[in-house]
Amino acid sequence: MTPLQLTALLPYILLAAASIVVILLIAFKASHTVIQVVGFLLMCGVAVSLFAVKELLPVSILPLFEIDGFALLFTGLIIFCVLVVGLFSFIYFEEREENPKEYYILLFLSTLGAATMTISRHFISLFIGLEILSVSLYALIAYLRTRNNAVEAGMKYLVLAALSSAFLLFGMALIYMETGSMEFSAIAQKLGASSALFITGIGLMVVAIGFKLALVPFHFWAADVYQGAPSPVTSFIATVSKIGVFAVLLRFAQTIHLQSYPLAYFIFAAIAIISMIAGNLLALQQQNIKRLLAYSSISHFGYLLVAFLPGNAGSNEAVFFYLAAYSLTILSAFGIITLLSNRQQDADHPDFYRGLFWRNPLMATVLTAAMLSLAGIPLTAGFMGKFIVLTTGVRQGLWLPVLVLVVTSVFGLYYYLRIISLLFAEAPAAGPKEKTLHPFFYTATYTALIVLVLLLVWIGVFPSGVIEGIKAFL
Amino acid sequence: MATVFYISSLIAIIATIMVITRHQPIHALLYLVVSFMAVAVIFLSVGAPFIAALEIIVYAGAIIVLFIFVTMMLNLGRETAVQEKQWLQPKVWAGPSVLAFVLLAQMVILLTKGNAAPMNMQIVEIKRVSVSLYGEYILALELAGFLLMAGIVGAAHIGKHKKKHLHRFLQEDNNVEEQFQKRDPVTIISEEKEAPEPVA
Repeated sequence: MTPLQLTALLPYILLAAASIVVILLIAFKASHTVIQVVGFLLMCGVAVSLFAVKELLPVSILPLFEIDGFALLFTGLIIFCVLVVGLFSFIYFEEREENPKEYYILLFLSTLGAATMTISRHFISLFIGLEILSVSLYALIAYLRTRNNAVEAGMKYLVLAALSSAFLLFGMALIYMETGSMEFSAIAQKLGASSALFITGIGLMVVAIGFKLALVPFHFWAADVYQGAPSPVTSFIATVSKIGVFAVLLRFAQTIHLQSYPLAYFIFAAIAIISMIAGNLLALQQQNIKRLLAYSSISHFGYLLVAFLPGNAGSNEAVFFYLAAYSLTILSAFGIITLLSNRQQDADHPDFYRGLFWRNPLMATVLTAAMLSLAGIPLTAGFMGKFIVLTTGVRQGLWLPVLVLVVTSVFGLYYYLRIISLLFAEAPAAGPKEKTLHPFFYTATYTALIVLVLLLVWIGVFPSGVIEGIKAFL
Repeated sequence: MATVFYISSLIAIIATIMVITRHQPIHALLYLVVSFMAVAVIFLSVGAPFIAALEIIVYAGAIIVLFIFVTMMLNLGRETAVQEKQWLQPKVWAGPSVLAFVLLAQMVILLTKGNAAPMNMQIVEIKRVSVSLYGEYILALELAGFLLMAGIVGAAHIGKHKKKHLHRFLQEDNNVEEQFQKRDPVTIISEEKEAPEPVA
């Protein structure tokens, strides 16, 4: 390996080292606060190193990795999400778990898995990245092992993720059998006309990818896992794990020109349409807010697939912009859920939110902004995301998916607005105020939430700066 | 050697179905061993003796032994000795043994009568495998290490026992009972059924 390649790998090496640093800190009996602060600084270090290696790119480390602007952009988004999730985790786990330290090892390891996927150009690195992500997630979901539904959610995720990995491997094996290579670029070269083996392989891989992205008809785990997992972990699943998988899907599709195979194109279009419809319809009757966000994420990834379908440079931009806007939104929503949760249960019942505005106007404002952005109301990032996705779809003439997107968005408004109306409802008698144990971290969390909301509005009002930034990287 | 391939595949499928339908973990593990051996014979029949040996050493050897140790350690207790005797009936081990015997017969046939290279393929030396593993794929190998770390840390956290803080009266009770057990084990065994469960 040349020095250039090593330098380009710097962010990923730092990320891998972070988990080992946390293990060492635990071995030396560092406190939760120390681990949290060191973890935060390490993630900041990774973010800085991303900018530092930007000038060297693109560097490819044959045969496994390709580090280019695309990878850096997605890794940057992943690291940003982990910074926020890590911040939320402190208050959450400090209060609930006698043993909150191993959480950070698993958090950084699963981040490493997701980041590995963004730079993969080979089935082996894709699979190992995906497995690091999933194996850490099994434990993260069941982290509060005294809660029955957390263990149940972890178990469900374990069984289904293992099954989907089997599908992925079998699909890869079929494609390897057809082309004799596992590198994306070599597959693209050796692939002539679309053959039955190749399409079968792609179909099997779609099962695994659909599972990770919780697309219909592979979405059955989503609601239970979102509900059972600790709130910070749920926000991690909703952002980091899906960003990583989508990044590798984009790179794979772009390299082998997946969209030029009519059958594969049809499969993705069908999945997009039924995800948008089913996700929104299932969310309509949902009372539990975590389950509601699960169904809403199903429909949002359906929208995202509409931008994925054209398969050109414009679609990359649209996908990244949408993912960034969605991550900001969902992180601020889960931040509120985390803050409102009490010792016994997560704040997923509507009663937690009834009249929140009269008790805590700041939280209610943040949640309102997040819901408006999820619904795609103008002046929020969610609106700009949807707008760009629509533009990409219309340019390519994808009328049916675009039409479904618009119609289902209107359905979506109903349940997002229902939550907002709950926030401003008649307030019940205020309960006794819980003591705030860590004023510094509460302040930090509130600051993070305010920054997230400001970013949401800023991207919604002035999207051009962000789009230029994305173009510069891609 | 197509017949050998089909017979071993059938055995692998039957054994795996038995694994997921058994109620006792040890019974399932017996069938799991058979399943791994069947896969090894498949590899042997298509002319890959090295992979076959690896399959036996790594899966049937190391991994299953770990499983069995853990299962045995979980079943500590006095009643389990009796229970184990009840479980160790011929119907439990007959199935796996018959399947294993068929596999053994196949292997003997393969080793004595099989032609050297049934499939037309390039032979890859073990050295080349290891060189590429530690050469171009070294990063994948290191990432696999992180994968194992994730598994171990997760399992250690979920499997960790909560610290129990007993009331001092209960602790004394425990101690008395332990001393009692040490002094006179015979009476304990004879009164096994009447003896109350020790307070954990």
